[in-house]
Amino acid sequence: MQVKPTTAVEVNDLTVAYRDQAVLWDVDLTIPEGSLTAIVGPNGAGKSTLLKTILGLLKPAAGHVLIYGKPYTQQRRLVGYVPQRGSVDWDFPTTVEDVVMMGLYGRLGWIRRPGRRERKLALKALEKVGMLEYAGRQISQLSGGQQQRVFLARALAQDARIYFMDEPFQGVDATTERAIVALLHGLRQSGKTVVVVHHDLQTVPEYFDRVTLLNVQCIASGPVAEVFNEENLRRTYGGRIAFFHQPGFSANGKGGELPVPAGVPAVPAAAGENGRNGR
Amino acid sequence: MNVSSLITMLFTDYTLRTVALGAAVLGIVSGALGSFALLRRQSLLGDAISHAALPGVVLAFLLTRSKAPLVLVAGAMIAGWLATLLFMAIIRSTRIKEDSALAFVLSTFFGLGLALLTFTQRLPDSRQAGLEHFLFGQAAALMVEDVLTMSLLGGLALILLGVFWKEFKLLSFDRDFGASLGFPMAALDVLLTTLLVTAIVIGLQAVGVVLMSALIIAPAAAARQWTDRLGVMTALSALFGALSGLSGALISSLVPGFSTGPTVVLCASALVLFSLLLAPNRGLIWNGLRQRRSRLKLQAPESSVLKISTGLPGPAGGEAQGGGYEHL
Repeated sequence: MQVKPTTAVEVNDLTVAYRDQAVLWDVDLTIPEGSLTAIVGPNGAGKSTLLKTILGLLKPAAGHVLIYGKPYTQQRRLVGYVPQRGSVDWDFPTTVEDVVMMGLYGRLGWIRRPGRRERKLALKALEKVGMLEYAGRQISQLSGGQQQRVFLARALAQDARIYFMDEPFQGVDATTERAIVALLHGLRQSGKTVVVVHHDLQTVPEYFDRVTLLNVQCIASGPVAEVFNEENLRRTYGGRIAFFHQPGFSANGKGGELPVPAGVPAVPAAAGENGRNGR
Repeated sequence: MNVSSLITMLFTDYTLRTVALGAAVLGIVSGALGSFALLRRQSLLGDAISHAALPGVVLAFLLTRSKAPLVLVAGAMIAGWLATLLFMAIIRSTRIKEDSALAFVLSTFFGLGLALLTFTQRLPDSRQAGLEHFLFGQAAALMVEDVLTMSLLGGLALILLGVFWKEFKLLSFDRDFGASLGFPMAALDVLLTTLLVTAIVIGLQAVGVVLMSALIIAPAAAARQWTDRLGVMTALSALFGALSGLSGALISSLVPGFSTGPTVVLCASALVLFSLLLAPNRGLIWNGLRQRRSRLKLQAPESSVLKISTGLPGPAGGEAQGGGYEHL
């Protein structure tokens, strides 16, 4: 066994542009191994884009990402991914077990079909999310929370060291939310690193130990106790945030998404021009 | 003519046998690949590809002065592919939306095809006779050579579909996840689309460019009604495709004046209608009955209480939150 590197994910000077608009601007980020990190920020802040760029699904205009010191393409087997639930067609003719087995396709490689071993691993992953009895179920018959758990089970089947999850709490019931939190804490306990795009500011201190505040630029990143404060939130959400001066922050009482203030995107948009010129 | 003599003819009559075989092969290939087109919401792309193949067919003839099936199919394939590329380029680089881009590509290529076709018909070259059959299709004109070409290309497409089954399923269900696993999704997309183009162009002579897409869409839509498994759906769709191709080709070759394309489409549509109404679970009649039954149940108060107390065996919250993760 080699010595474990302590940095699981390292993002350097990452800039991502969509047409002329910079979606991410010069983001630097370090995520230590074994941490549970939330990425928060307003709509259009580039949270999903950051995740997708780290996973190599989007090409950055500048900068690079390292997973345990190497590019993602060399470290795929170490990474598990939970896309947004709404990104797929849940009326697709397939079963729960089948979807979970997709988590093993990477290890299977080309052409080889999943067999009995893969089935067993899929059922084990389903058991961990409390969905074992749904294994044979057609996926269109699942509730939103159950769909989310199927996606989590698929990522668990990947047996990764780092998990990236895109809004796993979006539109799930309280039972599933508690189940996911338990799962995240279980993952951390077994030494895994988890990065979660998150919406609900209220639950950040309770669920996570690190937070990255993102609004096109990385506003702040670090342990929740150090960076999850009023000033940083104001800088991230542009001041239109109602604070209750009580322990723990609340966005707008409902923990919902906040509008991006008009002034904010102007700066990075102009910056995007530079980004395309290779800076 | 009765059924038994028709079946006897199927084995003795050379023309009928060729036609039946060709139509069946065509139905199997387009049905199987159609199920992926349907699930990937590419049905309209299929329509655009088949219309766009017409100028390819005519140009291939004009350039080579040959009507060899492989030559015409190659022309159709190139044109179909060019149309697909143009469509993708339009979406990517302009603000035109998918439906408009498809309509634009379809009508432009089809217009060019028609212009070339009428131009060719004026040529003092008698060899051009028969090209106009590519509009509405003429199964009766299928030769053994045509059927062989169709079987060869179609068989190849089916083999590739089987070989990359897992990858194509991943592409169709969750492309981003597949890409995160390291599969080259863009290349797989190109391959699957090429297979779709193949399925379309081998049917053009028999069914025609105008209605070929129905053979891609209809069997798959009908099959989707009966099953929730991708494998079963694909097989069923192939079967439905073969059935509609076969019956359409037979009817059109027995009834003078019936073009193959429209007849095949009507047969496929009948299958779709039947499936939409009668398929268990998804069928309209089944759904109506189920709704009626549940209404009746709810109207009887004591049984509804029972339903609530015993029903909905969702996963227990306690069990899930109790850190089901410990087993790791």
